[in-house]
Amino acid sequence: MPDLIDGSENVSVHGIFNWILLLAIFSVITVIANYLGYKHPIADSLVGMGILSFITLIGVWLERELPFNISSILYISVIGILIAFPGMPTSEVVLYYVSKVELLAIVTVFLAYVGIGMGKSWDEFKALGWRAVVITVLVIAATYYGAAIVAHIVLVLTGVPAA
Amino acid sequence: MPGEWIFIPDKDGQIEHIYREKTDKRILKKNPWRDLRLHGTVLVLVVIAELIGTIRIPITKDVAITIMPLIYTIILGLAFYLVKPIKWIHRKQARIAEGAMMLFIGVLIAKLAVSSGQSISLIFEMGPALILQELGHLATILVLPIALLLGFKKEAIGMTNSIGREPNVAVVVDKYGFNSPESRGVFAIFIIGTVIGTIFISFLVTFSLSFIPLHPYAYAMASGVGSASMNAAAIGPTLAAFPGLETQIEAFAGFSNLLSFCVGIYIVIFIALPLTEKIYNWLEPKIGREALVPEKEDE
Repeated sequence: MPDLIDGSENVSVHGIFNWILLLAIFSVITVIANYLGYKHPIADSLVGMGILSFITLIGVWLERELPFNISSILYISVIGILIAFPGMPTSEVVLYYVSKVELLAIVTVFLAYVGIGMGKSWDEFKALGWRAVVITVLVIAATYYGAAIVAHIVLVLTGVPAA
Repeated sequence: MPGEWIFIPDKDGQIEHIYREKTDKRILKKNPWRDLRLHGTVLVLVVIAELIGTIRIPITKDVAITIMPLIYTIILGLAFYLVKPIKWIHRKQARIAEGAMMLFIGVLIAKLAVSSGQSISLIFEMGPALILQELGHLATILVLPIALLLGFKKEAIGMTNSIGREPNVAVVVDKYGFNSPESRGVFAIFIIGTVIGTIFISFLVTFSLSFIPLHPYAYAMASGVGSASMNAAAIGPTLAAFPGLETQIEAFAGFSNLLSFCVGIYIVIFIALPLTEKIYNWLEPKIGREALVPEKEDE
Protein backbone atom coordinates (compact mmCIF):
# COMPACT_ATOMS: atom_id res chain seq x y z
CA MET A 1 0.00 0.00 0.00
CA PRO A 2 1.49 3.39 -0.93
CA ASP A 3 2.00 6.04 1.70
CA LEU A 4 -0.94 8.20 0.81
CA ILE A 5 -0.79 10.65 3.58
CA ASP A 6 1.35 13.60 4.44
CA GLY A 7 1.66 14.27 8.17
CA SER A 8 0.37 17.80 7.79
CA GLU A 9 -2.99 16.66 6.52
CA ASN A 10 -5.90 16.04 8.77
CA VAL A 11 -6.78 12.59 9.97
CA SER A 12 -8.19 10.71 7.02
CA VAL A 13 -9.75 7.35 6.46
CA HIS A 14 -6.23 6.04 5.90
CA GLY A 15 -5.08 7.37 9.30
CA ILE A 16 -8.01 5.84 11.11
CA PHE A 17 -7.32 2.59 9.27
CA ASN A 18 -3.75 2.66 10.65
CA TRP A 19 -5.02 3.26 14.18
CA ILE A 20 -7.49 0.39 13.90
CA LEU A 21 -4.84 -2.04 12.67
CA LEU A 22 -2.40 -1.01 15.40
CA LEU A 23 -5.08 -1.43 18.06
CA ALA A 24 -5.97 -4.82 16.57
CA ILE A 25 -2.34 -5.99 16.83
CA PHE A 26 -2.14 -4.65 20.39
CA SER A 27 -5.41 -6.42 21.26
CA VAL A 28 -4.28 -9.78 19.90
CA ILE A 29 -0.97 -9.65 21.81
CA THR A 30 -2.76 -8.55 25.00
CA VAL A 31 -5.31 -11.36 24.68
CA ILE A 32 -2.46 -13.87 24.37
CA ALA A 33 -0.83 -12.41 27.51
CA ASN A 34 -4.21 -12.43 29.21
CA TYR A 35 -4.66 -16.10 28.38
CA LEU A 36 -1.13 -17.20 29.32
CA GLY A 37 -0.91 -15.15 32.52
CA TYR A 38 -4.44 -15.14 33.85
CA LYS A 39 -6.26 -17.93 31.99
CA HIS A 40 -9.13 -15.74 30.82
CA PRO A 41 -11.09 -17.20 27.87
CA ILE A 42 -9.73 -15.92 24.56
CA ALA A 43 -13.06 -15.07 22.90
CA ASP A 44 -14.37 -13.03 25.84
CA SER A 45 -11.17 -11.09 26.32
CA LEU A 46 -11.02 -10.34 22.58
CA VAL A 47 -14.44 -8.72 22.88
CA GLY A 48 -13.20 -6.85 25.96
CA MET A 49 -10.16 -5.54 24.08
CA GLY A 50 -12.45 -4.63 21.20
CA ILE A 51 -14.53 -2.44 23.51
CA LEU A 52 -11.43 -0.79 25.01
CA SER A 53 -9.92 -0.22 21.56
CA PHE A 54 -13.15 1.33 20.34
CA ILE A 55 -13.20 3.76 23.29
CA THR A 56 -9.56 4.64 22.53
CA LEU A 57 -10.33 5.18 18.86
CA ILE A 58 -13.20 7.55 19.64
CA GLY A 59 -11.00 9.40 22.16
CA VAL A 60 -8.01 9.97 19.86
CA TRP A 61 -10.33 10.90 17.01
CA LEU A 62 -12.22 13.44 19.16
CA GLU A 63 -8.93 14.96 20.32
CA ARG A 64 -7.96 15.73 16.74
CA GLU A 65 -11.40 16.50 15.37
CA LEU A 66 -12.81 18.82 18.04
CA PRO A 67 -11.43 22.36 18.24
CA PHE A 68 -10.45 22.10 21.92
CA ASN A 69 -7.00 21.47 23.33
CA ILE A 70 -8.13 18.55 25.43
CA SER A 71 -6.04 15.42 25.73
CA SER A 72 -7.51 12.18 24.41
CA ILE A 73 -6.92 10.76 27.90
CA LEU A 74 -9.83 12.89 29.14
CA TYR A 75 -12.20 11.91 26.35
CA ILE A 76 -11.34 8.25 26.86
CA SER A 77 -11.85 8.50 30.63
CA VAL A 78 -15.24 10.19 30.29
CA ILE A 79 -16.49 7.68 27.71
CA GLY A 80 -15.21 4.74 29.80
CA ILE A 81 -16.84 6.00 33.00
CA LEU A 82 -20.14 6.76 31.26
CA ILE A 83 -20.59 3.41 29.52
CA ALA A 84 -19.76 1.50 32.73
CA PHE A 85 -21.91 3.69 34.97
CA PRO A 86 -24.36 1.56 36.97
CA GLY A 87 -27.77 1.80 35.35
CA MET A 88 -26.48 2.61 31.88
CA PRO A 89 -27.88 0.12 29.35
CA THR A 90 -24.32 -0.62 28.19
CA SER A 91 -22.85 -1.22 31.64
CA GLU A 92 -23.66 -4.91 32.05
CA VAL A 93 -22.16 -5.98 28.72
CA VAL A 94 -19.15 -3.66 29.05
CA LEU A 95 -18.35 -4.79 32.59
CA TYR A 96 -18.65 -8.47 31.72
CA TYR A 97 -16.24 -8.37 28.80
CA VAL A 98 -13.82 -5.71 30.07
CA SER A 99 -13.42 -7.56 33.38
CA LYS A 100 -12.06 -10.46 31.32
CA VAL A 101 -9.08 -8.31 30.37
CA GLU A 102 -6.57 -8.10 33.21
CA LEU A 103 -5.06 -4.63 33.71
CA LEU A 104 -1.67 -6.25 34.25
CA ALA A 105 -1.87 -7.98 30.86
CA ILE A 106 -2.42 -4.63 29.12
CA VAL A 107 0.42 -3.08 31.12
CA THR A 108 2.78 -5.96 30.30
CA VAL A 109 2.30 -5.56 26.53
CA PHE A 110 2.31 -1.77 26.73
CA LEU A 111 5.63 -1.81 28.60
CA ALA A 112 7.26 -3.97 25.90
CA TYR A 113 6.61 -1.15 23.43
CA VAL A 114 7.77 1.41 25.99
CA GLY A 115 11.00 -0.54 26.55
CA ILE A 116 11.81 -0.69 22.84
CA GLY A 117 10.83 2.97 22.33
CA MET A 118 12.97 4.01 25.27
CA GLY A 119 16.07 2.33 23.86
CA LYS A 120 17.01 5.33 21.80
CA SER A 121 17.06 7.53 24.93
CA TRP A 122 19.37 5.16 26.81
CA ASP A 123 22.44 7.38 26.67
CA GLU A 124 20.54 10.21 28.29
CA PHE A 125 19.34 7.87 31.04
CA LYS A 126 22.92 6.89 31.72
CA ALA A 127 23.85 10.57 31.94
CA LEU A 128 21.20 11.01 34.64
CA GLY A 129 22.93 8.33 36.73
CA TRP A 130 22.90 7.90 40.50
CA ARG A 131 21.29 11.27 41.07
CA ALA A 132 18.14 10.06 39.32
CA VAL A 133 18.14 6.99 41.56
CA VAL A 134 18.26 9.24 44.64
CA ILE A 135 15.35 11.35 43.34
CA THR A 136 13.31 8.24 42.44
CA VAL A 137 13.65 6.81 45.93
CA LEU A 138 12.71 10.15 47.52
CA VAL A 139 9.73 10.61 45.19
CA ILE A 140 8.35 7.15 46.03
CA ALA A 141 8.79 7.76 49.76
CA ALA A 142 7.15 11.22 49.48
CA THR A 143 4.14 9.78 47.63
CA TYR A 144 3.68 6.99 50.16
CA TYR A 145 4.05 9.12 53.28
CA GLY A 146 2.09 12.03 51.80
CA ALA A 147 -0.90 9.79 51.14
CA ALA A 148 -0.58 7.88 54.44
CA ILE A 149 -0.36 11.02 56.59
CA VAL A 150 -3.26 12.83 54.87
CA ALA A 151 -5.43 9.69 55.07
CA HIS A 152 -4.53 9.23 58.74
CA ILE A 153 -5.46 12.83 59.61
CA VAL A 154 -8.78 12.64 57.73
CA LEU A 155 -9.66 9.24 59.26
CA VAL A 156 -8.93 10.47 62.78
CA LEU A 157 -10.84 13.74 62.26
CA THR A 158 -13.88 11.92 60.84
CA GLY A 159 -13.77 9.48 63.76
CA VAL A 160 -13.22 6.23 61.89
CA PRO A 161 -12.22 3.76 64.63
CA ALA A 162 -8.94 1.93 64.17
CA ALA A 163 -11.01 -1.25 63.90
CA MET B 1 -10.92 30.86 27.41
CA PRO B 2 -12.81 27.75 26.37
CA GLY B 3 -10.76 24.78 25.41
CA GLU B 4 -7.59 25.99 27.06
CA TRP B 5 -8.24 24.60 30.46
CA ILE B 6 -6.00 21.58 30.14
CA PHE B 7 -2.71 22.83 28.79
CA ILE B 8 -1.10 25.89 30.21
CA PRO B 9 0.36 28.01 27.40
CA ASP B 10 4.13 28.51 27.48
CA LYS B 11 5.78 31.93 27.80
CA ASP B 12 4.98 32.96 24.24
CA GLY B 13 1.34 32.04 24.71
CA GLN B 14 1.74 29.11 22.34
CA ILE B 15 0.16 25.81 23.17
CA GLU B 16 2.57 23.11 22.18
CA HIS B 17 1.38 20.11 20.29
CA ILE B 18 4.67 19.05 18.80
CA TYR B 19 4.31 15.59 20.17
CA ARG B 20 0.86 14.96 18.80
CA GLU B 21 1.91 16.14 15.34
CA LYS B 22 4.97 13.94 15.38
CA THR B 23 3.01 10.93 16.54
CA ASP B 24 0.48 11.57 13.83
CA LYS B 25 3.22 11.75 11.21
CA ARG B 26 4.71 8.47 12.30
CA ILE B 27 1.43 6.71 12.74
CA LEU B 28 -0.24 8.05 9.64
CA LYS B 29 2.65 7.98 7.20
CA LYS B 30 4.54 4.81 7.85
CA ASN B 31 1.85 2.15 8.00
CA PRO B 32 3.20 1.21 11.42
CA TRP B 33 1.13 -1.97 11.66
CA ARG B 34 3.21 -3.44 8.87
CA ASP B 35 6.37 -3.49 10.98
CA LEU B 36 6.19 -7.16 11.83
CA ARG B 37 9.70 -7.12 13.32
CA LEU B 38 8.47 -4.80 16.03
CA HIS B 39 5.14 -6.46 16.76
CA GLY B 40 6.60 -9.96 16.44
CA THR B 41 9.33 -9.06 18.92
CA VAL B 42 6.77 -7.64 21.35
CA LEU B 43 4.71 -10.84 21.05
CA VAL B 44 7.77 -12.99 21.78
CA LEU B 45 8.74 -10.81 24.76
CA VAL B 46 5.23 -10.96 26.17
CA VAL B 47 4.97 -14.74 25.78
CA ILE B 48 8.36 -15.21 27.49
CA ALA B 49 7.34 -12.84 30.29
CA GLU B 50 3.98 -14.50 30.92
CA LEU B 51 5.47 -18.00 30.82
CA ILE B 52 8.04 -17.04 33.46
CA GLY B 53 5.23 -15.44 35.49
CA THR B 54 5.47 -13.66 38.82
CA ILE B 55 8.46 -14.57 40.94
CA ARG B 56 8.43 -14.01 44.70
CA ILE B 57 11.77 -14.00 46.45
CA PRO B 58 11.26 -14.01 50.22
CA ILE B 59 13.91 -12.09 52.12
CA THR B 60 12.54 -12.24 55.64
CA LYS B 61 9.20 -13.48 56.95
CA ASP B 62 7.27 -10.38 55.81
CA VAL B 63 9.50 -8.87 53.17
CA ALA B 64 9.50 -10.41 49.74
CA ILE B 65 10.67 -9.12 46.41
CA THR B 66 7.93 -9.56 43.83
CA ILE B 67 9.07 -9.51 40.21
CA MET B 68 6.16 -9.34 37.79
CA PRO B 69 6.00 -10.04 34.03
CA LEU B 70 5.67 -6.32 33.30
CA ILE B 71 9.20 -5.81 34.63
CA TYR B 72 10.57 -8.49 32.26
CA THR B 73 8.96 -6.96 29.17
CA ILE B 74 10.23 -3.44 29.79
CA ILE B 75 13.77 -4.62 30.54
CA LEU B 76 13.80 -7.16 27.68
CA GLY B 77 12.40 -4.52 25.31
CA LEU B 78 15.16 -2.16 26.27
CA ALA B 79 17.74 -4.95 26.04
CA PHE B 80 16.54 -5.96 22.55
CA TYR B 81 17.16 -2.42 21.38
CA LEU B 82 20.53 -2.07 23.10
CA VAL B 83 22.11 -5.51 22.69
CA LYS B 84 24.17 -5.64 19.52
CA PRO B 85 23.61 -9.23 18.34
CA ILE B 86 19.89 -8.49 17.95
CA LYS B 87 19.84 -6.99 14.51
CA TRP B 88 16.17 -6.54 13.73
CA ILE B 89 15.28 -3.88 16.30
CA HIS B 90 16.63 -0.57 15.09
CA ARG B 91 15.96 3.11 15.54
CA LYS B 92 13.08 2.80 13.11
CA GLN B 93 11.34 0.19 15.26
CA ALA B 94 11.98 2.32 18.35
CA ARG B 95 10.38 5.32 16.68
CA ILE B 96 7.33 3.33 15.67
CA ALA B 97 7.07 1.83 19.16
CA GLU B 98 7.22 5.35 20.54
CA GLY B 99 4.37 6.53 18.30
CA ALA B 100 2.26 3.43 18.86
CA MET B 101 2.72 3.76 22.61
CA MET B 102 0.74 7.01 22.67
CA LEU B 103 -2.20 5.21 21.09
CA PHE B 104 -1.94 2.21 23.43
CA ILE B 105 -1.98 4.38 26.56
CA GLY B 106 -5.61 4.98 25.58
CA VAL B 107 -6.47 1.30 26.06
CA LEU B 108 -4.94 1.37 29.54
CA ILE B 109 -6.87 4.53 30.44
CA ALA B 110 -10.10 3.04 29.02
CA LYS B 111 -9.75 -0.06 31.21
CA LEU B 112 -9.30 2.08 34.31
CA ALA B 113 -12.17 4.37 33.35
CA VAL B 114 -14.52 1.39 33.06
CA SER B 115 -13.49 0.27 36.56
CA SER B 116 -14.10 3.78 37.95
CA GLY B 117 -17.52 4.03 36.36
CA GLN B 118 -18.45 0.67 37.82
CA SER B 119 -17.45 1.64 41.39
CA ILE B 120 -18.70 5.21 41.34
CA SER B 121 -21.01 4.72 44.35
CA LEU B 122 -18.14 3.20 46.34
CA ILE B 123 -16.18 6.42 45.80
CA PHE B 124 -18.91 8.32 47.62
CA GLU B 125 -19.33 5.70 50.36
CA MET B 126 -15.63 5.57 51.18
CA GLY B 127 -15.83 9.15 52.29
CA PRO B 128 -13.39 12.02 52.13
CA ALA B 129 -10.26 10.20 53.30
CA LEU B 130 -9.89 8.20 50.12
CA ILE B 131 -10.19 11.27 47.90
CA LEU B 132 -8.17 13.65 50.05
CA GLN B 133 -5.23 11.26 50.44
CA GLU B 134 -4.72 11.63 46.70
CA LEU B 135 -3.69 15.21 47.45
CA GLY B 136 -1.02 13.77 49.74
CA HIS B 137 0.76 12.63 46.58
CA LEU B 138 1.62 16.30 46.01
CA ALA B 139 4.33 15.75 48.64
CA THR B 140 6.61 14.65 45.79
CA ILE B 141 7.07 18.34 44.95
CA LEU B 142 9.05 18.62 48.21
CA VAL B 143 11.78 16.68 46.40
CA LEU B 144 12.11 19.42 43.73
CA PRO B 145 14.69 21.51 45.65
CA ILE B 146 16.83 18.40 46.16
CA ALA B 147 16.65 17.65 42.42
CA LEU B 148 17.78 21.21 41.67
CA LEU B 149 20.64 20.93 44.15
CA LEU B 150 21.74 17.71 42.44
CA GLY B 151 22.01 19.60 39.15
CA PHE B 152 18.81 18.74 37.31
CA LYS B 153 17.20 21.45 35.21
CA LYS B 154 13.82 21.00 33.51
CA GLU B 155 14.13 17.24 34.03
CA ALA B 156 13.24 18.04 37.66
CA ILE B 157 9.73 19.12 36.62
CA GLY B 158 9.10 15.69 35.11
CA MET B 159 10.76 13.95 38.02
CA THR B 160 9.01 15.48 41.01
CA ASN B 161 5.47 16.32 39.86
CA SER B 162 4.29 12.80 40.71
CA ILE B 163 5.48 9.27 41.38
CA GLY B 164 6.10 8.91 37.64
CA ARG B 165 4.05 5.80 36.81
CA GLU B 166 2.30 5.04 33.52
CA PRO B 167 -0.52 7.63 33.66
CA ASN B 168 1.89 10.32 34.88
CA VAL B 169 4.26 9.50 32.05
CA ALA B 170 1.35 9.81 29.64
CA VAL B 171 0.42 13.24 30.97
CA VAL B 172 3.98 14.58 30.91
CA VAL B 173 4.73 13.19 27.44
CA ASP B 174 1.45 14.56 26.13
CA LYS B 175 2.18 18.02 27.49
CA TYR B 176 5.89 18.43 26.78
CA GLY B 177 6.67 16.00 23.94
CA PHE B 178 8.62 12.75 23.94
CA ASN B 179 12.08 14.29 23.55
CA SER B 180 11.67 17.16 26.00
CA PRO B 181 13.80 17.39 29.17
CA GLU B 182 10.60 17.07 31.24
CA SER B 183 9.81 13.73 29.59
CA ARG B 184 13.39 12.54 30.05
CA GLY B 185 12.92 13.29 33.74
CA VAL B 186 9.67 11.37 34.09
CA PHE B 187 11.08 8.46 32.03
CA ALA B 188 14.12 8.32 34.32
CA ILE B 189 11.85 8.10 37.37
CA PHE B 190 9.66 5.60 35.53
CA ILE B 191 12.39 3.16 34.54
CA ILE B 192 14.27 3.38 37.84
CA GLY B 193 10.97 3.05 39.68
CA THR B 194 10.08 0.00 37.59
CA VAL B 195 13.34 -1.71 38.43
CA ILE B 196 13.88 -0.78 42.09
CA GLY B 197 10.54 0.77 43.12
CA THR B 198 8.83 -2.48 43.98
CA ILE B 199 11.74 -3.66 46.09
CA PHE B 200 12.17 -0.26 47.72
CA ILE B 201 8.52 0.21 48.70
CA SER B 202 8.40 -3.29 50.14
CA PHE B 203 11.16 -2.31 52.58
CA LEU B 204 9.74 1.17 53.17
CA VAL B 205 6.32 -0.20 54.18
CA THR B 206 7.75 -2.88 56.45
CA PHE B 207 9.92 -0.28 58.19
CA SER B 208 7.07 2.24 58.53
CA LEU B 209 4.63 -0.30 59.97
CA SER B 210 7.08 -1.14 62.72
CA PHE B 211 7.98 2.42 63.67
CA ILE B 212 5.15 4.84 62.75
CA PRO B 213 1.72 4.32 64.38
CA LEU B 214 -0.79 5.34 61.70
CA HIS B 215 -4.39 4.17 61.15
CA PRO B 216 -4.48 0.74 59.44
CA TYR B 217 -6.81 2.13 56.75
CA ALA B 218 -4.36 4.99 56.16
CA TYR B 219 -1.66 2.42 55.46
CA ALA B 220 -4.02 0.53 53.18
CA MET B 221 -4.93 3.64 51.19
CA ALA B 222 -1.31 4.78 50.95
CA SER B 223 -0.29 1.50 49.34
CA GLY B 224 -2.23 2.49 46.22
CA VAL B 225 0.48 4.72 44.84
CA GLY B 226 -0.61 4.28 41.24
CA SER B 227 1.50 1.30 40.22
CA ALA B 228 0.15 -2.21 40.22
CA SER B 229 3.42 -3.87 41.19
CA MET B 230 4.21 -1.30 43.90
CA ASN B 231 0.65 -1.64 45.22
CA ALA B 232 1.15 -5.40 45.41
CA ALA B 233 4.48 -4.93 47.17
CA ALA B 234 3.02 -2.47 49.67
CA ILE B 235 -0.11 -4.41 50.53
CA GLY B 236 1.69 -7.64 51.51
CA PRO B 237 3.38 -6.38 54.68
CA THR B 238 0.31 -4.22 55.52
CA LEU B 239 -1.95 -7.29 55.51
CA ALA B 240 0.53 -9.15 57.69
CA ALA B 241 0.67 -6.27 60.19
CA PHE B 242 -3.09 -6.04 60.80
CA PRO B 243 -4.52 -9.57 61.01
CA GLY B 244 -8.32 -9.68 60.89
CA LEU B 245 -8.61 -6.62 58.66
CA GLU B 246 -7.68 -8.35 55.40
CA THR B 247 -10.90 -7.60 53.51
CA GLN B 248 -11.00 -3.90 54.40
CA ILE B 249 -7.31 -3.39 53.70
CA GLU B 250 -7.57 -5.07 50.30
CA ALA B 251 -10.64 -3.01 49.39
CA PHE B 252 -9.06 0.29 50.40
CA ALA B 253 -5.72 -0.53 48.79
CA GLY B 254 -7.23 -1.62 45.50
CA PHE B 255 -9.58 1.31 45.29
CA SER B 256 -6.95 3.83 46.23
CA ASN B 257 -4.69 2.45 43.52
CA LEU B 258 -7.55 2.89 41.06
CA LEU B 259 -8.03 6.46 42.30
CA SER B 260 -4.33 7.16 41.93
CA PHE B 261 -4.58 6.02 38.33
CA CYS B 262 -7.79 7.91 37.51
CA VAL B 263 -8.25 10.89 39.83
CA GLY B 264 -4.47 11.11 40.18
CA ILE B 265 -4.16 12.05 36.50
CA TYR B 266 -6.36 15.08 37.00
CA ILE B 267 -4.53 16.12 40.15
CA VAL B 268 -1.31 15.96 38.11
CA ILE B 269 -2.80 17.86 35.14
CA PHE B 270 -4.58 20.57 37.11
CA ILE B 271 -2.53 20.96 40.28
CA ALA B 272 0.79 19.13 40.41
CA LEU B 273 2.31 20.06 37.03
CA PRO B 274 1.37 23.78 37.11
CA LEU B 275 2.50 23.98 40.73
CA THR B 276 5.80 22.18 40.03
CA GLU B 277 6.46 24.52 37.09
CA LYS B 278 5.74 27.62 39.21
CA ILE B 279 8.00 26.46 42.02
CA TYR B 280 10.67 25.50 39.48
CA ASN B 281 10.62 28.94 37.85
CA TRP B 282 10.87 30.60 41.23
CA LEU B 283 13.45 28.30 42.78
CA GLU B 284 15.70 27.41 39.83
CA PRO B 285 17.44 30.82 39.55
CA LYS B 286 18.05 30.72 43.30
CA ILE B 287 19.48 27.24 43.89
CA GLY B 288 19.93 25.74 40.38
CA ARG B 289 23.33 24.19 39.58
CA GLU B 290 25.08 23.76 36.26
CA ALA B 291 23.12 21.51 33.91
CA LEU B 292 24.06 17.82 33.92
CA VAL B 293 22.64 17.07 30.52
CA PRO B 294 23.29 19.72 27.87
CA GLU B 295 20.17 21.00 26.13
CA LYS B 296 19.70 19.02 22.97
CA GLU B 297 17.77 19.81 19.85
CA ASP B 298 15.34 17.18 18.69
CA GLU B 299 16.50 15.10 15.73
